[in-house]
Amino acid sequence: MKVLTGAYRKIKDLHPHEAIAPGTGLCAGCGGLEGLRMALKELGDDYIICNAAGCFTLLSVYPFTPLKGSWLYTTMGGPTPAAQGVRDALDIRMRHRGLEEKENLNVIVVAGDGSSNDIGFGATSAAIHRGLDFIYFCYDNEAYGNTGFQLSAASPYASATQTTPSTDVHEAGTEINKKDLFEIWKAQKPVYLATVSPREPIDLSNKFAKASHLKGPRMFICMSPCPTGWGFEPKEAQLIAKLAVDTGIFPVKEYYEGEVVHTVRPRKRLPVEKFLERQKRFRHLFKPHRQDVVIKHIQQRVDEYWGQYE
Amino acid sequence: MWRIRLHGRGGQGIKTASQILGSAGFYSGFQAQDFPLYGAERRGAPVMAFTRISEKVILERGPIISPDIILIGDETLLNDSQSAPLCGADPTTLIFVNSPHPPEKLAQKFSLVTADLTDLCHKHLNKRTIYSSALSAVGARLLGTIELADLLQAVEDELTQQGIVTQALQGNLELVREIYTKIEPAILTPKVEKTLITKPMVLPDYRPVVDGAPIILEPGNMALRKTGNWRVERPEIDYTHCNDCLICYARCPDGVIAVNPEGRPAIDYDHCKGCLICAQECPGHFINTVRETGLFP
Ligand SMILES: Cc1ncc(C[n+]2csc(CCOP(=O)(O)OP(=O)(O)O)c2C)c(N)n1
Ligand code: SF4
Ligand code: SF4
Ligand code: SF4
Ligand SMILES: [Mg+2]
Repeated sequence: MKVLTGAYRKIKDLHPHEAIAPGTGLCAGCGGLEGLRMALKELGDDYIICNAAGCFTLLSVYPFTPLKGSWLYTTMGGPTPAAQGVRDALDIRMRHRGLEEKENLNVIVVAGDGSSNDIGFGATSAAIHRGLDFIYFCYDNEAYGNTGFQLSAASPYASATQTTPSTDVHEAGTEINKKDLFEIWKAQKPVYLATVSPREPIDLSNKFAKASHLKGPRMFICMSPCPTGWGFEPKEAQLIAKLAVDTGIFPVKEYYEGEVVHTVRPRKRLPVEKFLERQKRFRHLFKPHRQDVVIKHIQQRVDEYWGQYE
Repeated sequence: MWRIRLHGRGGQGIKTASQILGSAGFYSGFQAQDFPLYGAERRGAPVMAFTRISEKVILERGPIISPDIILIGDETLLNDSQSAPLCGADPTTLIFVNSPHPPEKLAQKFSLVTADLTDLCHKHLNKRTIYSSALSAVGARLLGTIELADLLQAVEDELTQQGIVTQALQGNLELVREIYTKIEPAILTPKVEKTLITKPMVLPDYRPVVDGAPIILEPGNMALRKTGNWRVERPEIDYTHCNDCLICYARCPDGVIAVNPEGRPAIDYDHCKGCLICAQECPGHFINTVRETGLFP
């Protein structure tokens, strides 16, 4: 296994600099916010975030912003086209209008899984195709969180969402599998692509540090435990993130120079129940009776995934 | 008509409480109306909900400005000028505060009832502080005209709709029974009903686009907004044992644990939202949690 050689080895190495000021309206214990907080520490203060409508739109609410950099709020499907427009404008002004290099900005998209997998998907694919020089941060809370937790293409099989509850006819809740955005993006060979977890701050920081030195499409999917939508106590957000990694449900990996490397590997994978049983969105798998077939199916898919690499 | 306004925080079941109260009133033969009001903010932020209960048809709409009863699920809100739970209260308004100790200054000004719902919820709801059943039970009992059977039915119906499991439902029903015996019906003075007047419609005028595309010139000014009042429990670092490993600092999603020049973690209580991740994650369990009791200043 190739080990990622980054600058950070322990927690104390991490940037003490806080890139996001407190006071935001995001839920207490938001896993995605922890991911973004760590990511921005690595990206400096000269950036513009193009944000797709979603929970994180609450980060910057006029007249307040928690950020040092700029913020452009866009439609749910529009953050990547906005990023293209901003990138082009900066490039043209630097080339022809005398804008100094030091005025250049990192263009970052911050979008939810709904935006990334559904309405914003096509435009992002087009931008990767064109080789747009940008960083894409998808915080994946596995549903349309901001509007009350409806099904997105990233909602996992057997999770209950507002639009796919467990019923007599559809006992499992969501009956289709989560879209594999990593594989889809990988097929387009972006310069850099990684999944990150707020539970693995060192791995996360190293990946963003690495990406910050590259040019071209740099794509991130951040697993984002969501106490409100997933149904667990805020204090357990990190525990849930840990269990997602330890059960193998969420593979922490990167794709770089044509190779996929798992940068954090569960030593001995825990049974998937350990992750499922702590969340209200999976409660119907255990109560009023255990849905063994469904749980087994989830386990099987995880085993199949890791089978390719073991 | 009785107008009841409920105050609490996102995630505490305040909206559900107003629904249970409305349904219970309806089952007891009244007309009822209930609805919540909250901004874009998420779990932990102040929320309000309203219930109107009347023998006659309810024509009134919109938020309740002059409540007959105010039910405050979270006493820390009393210190919150933005949520201002006492707004619109007059000497005829009955105020209920979930608190283990009656806030004295409040008692001098208003007729006040208190009970420690947090404790009762801990007892019946497996340590969870969801006030939906408890607060609706207090409201129903203070009104005095809602039958226990109707209240229990309303709790069952509303919570079942939300997919509650049998065991948790039983806990809620016992909680409601206990509160029903603990709280006495109140003597309420009906407010003089105002006649509704129609006002002319206000038409907005057009503004140039720049007015609608505002710019924030001070980076990071979000810190001016204090989220410390979202906390129900406060994390406290036990510095005699803390070994400065900084795990708490790394794991705080809101970045409110700073590292001081000596390398020690320090919590910014103006902004800490009380998610308690730090306490959960400290390897040596050197962060204690203390219940916040926001006394009326
Ligand atoms: C075209 C369109 N449809 C619906 C909405 C309403 N809407 C706003 S945010 C949101 C949810 C977005 O979900 P996701 O991208 O996963 O972000 P999250 O809210 O989970 O953070 C929706 C449906 C919208 N803004 N635009
Ligand atoms: S709903 Fe979930 S993702 Fe959205 S702010 Fe709250 S915790 Fe974060
Ligand atoms: S409880 Fe701890 S982790 Fe949560 S906001 Fe406060 S300091 Fe941060
Ligand atoms: S996690 Fe615990 S021991 Fe480590 S710095 Fe924080 S309080 Fe101290
Ligand atoms: Mg989402």
